[in-house]
Amino acid sequence: MSRMNAMFKKLYKLVLVVSLAIFLFIVFDEIHNLDNNSKRYLSEHYISEGVQETGAINIVTSVLYDYRAFDTLGEATVLLTAAAILSFLVPLGKDKMLGTTFTMIVSQTTKFFIPFLAVLGAYLILFGHLAPGGGFVGGVVMAVIPILLTITYRVEFSEYKFKPAKKKLAEDIGAIGFILLGLVGVVTGSNFLANGQANFGPGNTGELISAGLIPFLNLMIGIKVGAGLAIIFNSLIKEK
Amino acid sequence: MEAAVWLIILPLLTAFFIGISKLYFKKILAPLVTGSAIIYLYLLILVINHSYPPKVYNVGAWGLMGINLMVDPFSAMFLLMIAILFLPVIIFSVKYIKSHKHKYFIFTYLMTAGIAGMVLTADLFNLYVFLEVSSLSSCALVALKNTNKGIEGTFKYLIMSTLGSFFILLATILTYSLTGTLNMAEISLEFKDIPFQIKSTLMSFFVFGYVIKIGLIPLHAWIPDTYEDSPIPYNVLSSGLVMKSAVYALIKVLYIIFGIDFLDQSGMLHIGVFWGVITFIVAHLLAYQQSNLSRLLAYSSVAQIAYITIGLFVGTEGGLIAGNFHILNHAIMKGTLFLVTAIFYYSLSAVKIEDIKGLGYKFPILSFIFVVASLAIVGLPPFNGFISKWLIVEAAIESGFVYAGFFILVGTFLSLTYYLKVIVTLYTKTEKELLIVKPTLSLRLPTIFLGSLCILFGIVPSIPLSLINKIPKFLLDNGEYIRILLGG
Repeated sequence: MSRMNAMFKKLYKLVLVVSLAIFLFIVFDEIHNLDNNSKRYLSEHYISEGVQETGAINIVTSVLYDYRAFDTLGEATVLLTAAAILSFLVPLGKDKMLGTTFTMIVSQTTKFFIPFLAVLGAYLILFGHLAPGGGFVGGVVMAVIPILLTITYRVEFSEYKFKPAKKKLAEDIGAIGFILLGLVGVVTGSNFLANGQANFGPGNTGELISAGLIPFLNLMIGIKVGAGLAIIFNSLIKEK
Repeated sequence: MEAAVWLIILPLLTAFFIGISKLYFKKILAPLVTGSAIIYLYLLILVINHSYPPKVYNVGAWGLMGINLMVDPFSAMFLLMIAILFLPVIIFSVKYIKSHKHKYFIFTYLMTAGIAGMVLTADLFNLYVFLEVSSLSSCALVALKNTNKGIEGTFKYLIMSTLGSFFILLATILTYSLTGTLNMAEISLEFKDIPFQIKSTLMSFFVFGYVIKIGLIPLHAWIPDTYEDSPIPYNVLSSGLVMKSAVYALIKVLYIIFGIDFLDQSGMLHIGVFWGVITFIVAHLLAYQQSNLSRLLAYSSVAQIAYITIGLFVGTEGGLIAGNFHILNHAIMKGTLFLVTAIFYYSLSAVKIEDIKGLGYKFPILSFIFVVASLAIVGLPPFNGFISKWLIVEAAIESGFVYAGFFILVGTFLSLTYYLKVIVTLYTKTEKELLIVKPTLSLRLPTIFLGSLCILFGIVPSIPLSLINKIPKFLLDNGEYIRILLGG
């Protein structure tokens, strides 16, 4: 009887998932079949006018850091909060992987690798408005450096090189810097997070220092995301 | 309307500065948080005063290309709630919170920023982002005490809140793919051509997502667990602001995007009222069985939110006024009750109802305030809860929901039973010697302030009602709202 019960429980979950999937499929299909191609004026505007209005060649960057920069501020804050919740919730315990000792090759390669990662991360952040990349992506690449240190040389070494307090400080500075850059728009008489409207102008599109505030906002988000992810990773696998 | 955006960035800035001050200059915490809260109060009053006629603020000066903030009477009412609750809670917490003090204030400020953002924004995705900010920092606050019960509550809260967010995000994405815009006014205009079936599916996603965050039965189970072992001043903000901001978002989405006509056609109004009735009856019955004071108040919160739901889903002008007035009143009454509970916990770590036996003679003023607030929440005259409940009953009966009106009266008696149980325990004499830490003035003053508001709004309800009376104009007729947001 109990076996029947257990099977029924499993089956019931399966049926629930499948029926939800079918339902969503029908909804998506219905929506797809509606002729709504005429209603794309917002995205068409971003694509056709984005470069002239913001000066950023990368459309994603122009949406993330100019048209909808306010959302980016919110998302970065969510990341900070998530990092903090993880440090509360994850129980401190010993992880098996950390007990593993690696051979010479791994530690030497890691050492060799880190400068390149730093350069790649810096490039992704600083050229975010010109090439694929941006603050979020670059920040993730930067965060790989302490993560690699943690994996190969244990948490203690990683936290000795990058002090947790310093990482928290970097995170806060990134966030404050983003808001202060936004306030520059207010100071010059325009609105919060204004860029082109506050006469920071697109500049010479294609140069490193162009697109007004966007490269600086990218830098701030890069700092914040990098520090935040490093904190998240270390608090996830902390050993005691 | 520069001040509107400051309402969001000032708490954010404060939160990050607290993070820095934790590392280098720990001593400035109390002046920093109090000072910031006072400036915040000033900004709130400034924005509330200029809320009528509604004003629009373009973030980044992009006009309709970017994100817009809009201050209308509905959001002004929520800002008024923040104004009433925030400074007292901050002053209270400076003394009350002992462990993880910096983190507590960081998350409280982030949560407030999220709620202010939700209330002000007129953009569907921005609403989702700020919803995440407020509910995630709220999760972190539940875990703050780092006890087993607290972490259990946080885990449940995280799972449920993520599930709710998932549905809200799904609905937001589908809305964007249907209409090609995220501005609420433009979505509302585009929605006129969308077929009925798709619209009702989208609406059910929104409703399901937000109802998880509001906590109507049967999606309420996480609420008492999150209240049980979290810092009690946070509970004031949680029941007063976090749950209410989800109500705000739901009502805004339903009334502005879908419009009252569609709600009537699809039967959502009937579902809302019926759901509310079921919820408060079950919640009252569950509250009666609790022995833990915080859990009792949590179930009572669920029930009160159900009253609010009934008021808001009746779909008439009277109903909206009544529901909104009850939102404000519940925030004040529940805030008072939680602050008194917090003082009892601070003074002699009272958790259960039997622990507060005989405290009525040890804390005469605080106990009196507790009695006032609990009678107000039950709905007895001459307190504020009576007036808003009366308005809800009136609105429900007027628009044909006679059963709702009848059951609200039944619910009043149910709630009277369990609140009387607490009051009777409070005034039962005991021989036991109690070790009491005397609460300081900074703990008593916020409590007395909120308690006196219960009486003030009961005797002179015209003060808040002068603001609340303007709300239905922009919700019942979404054309007005759309016109202002589009800048016509």
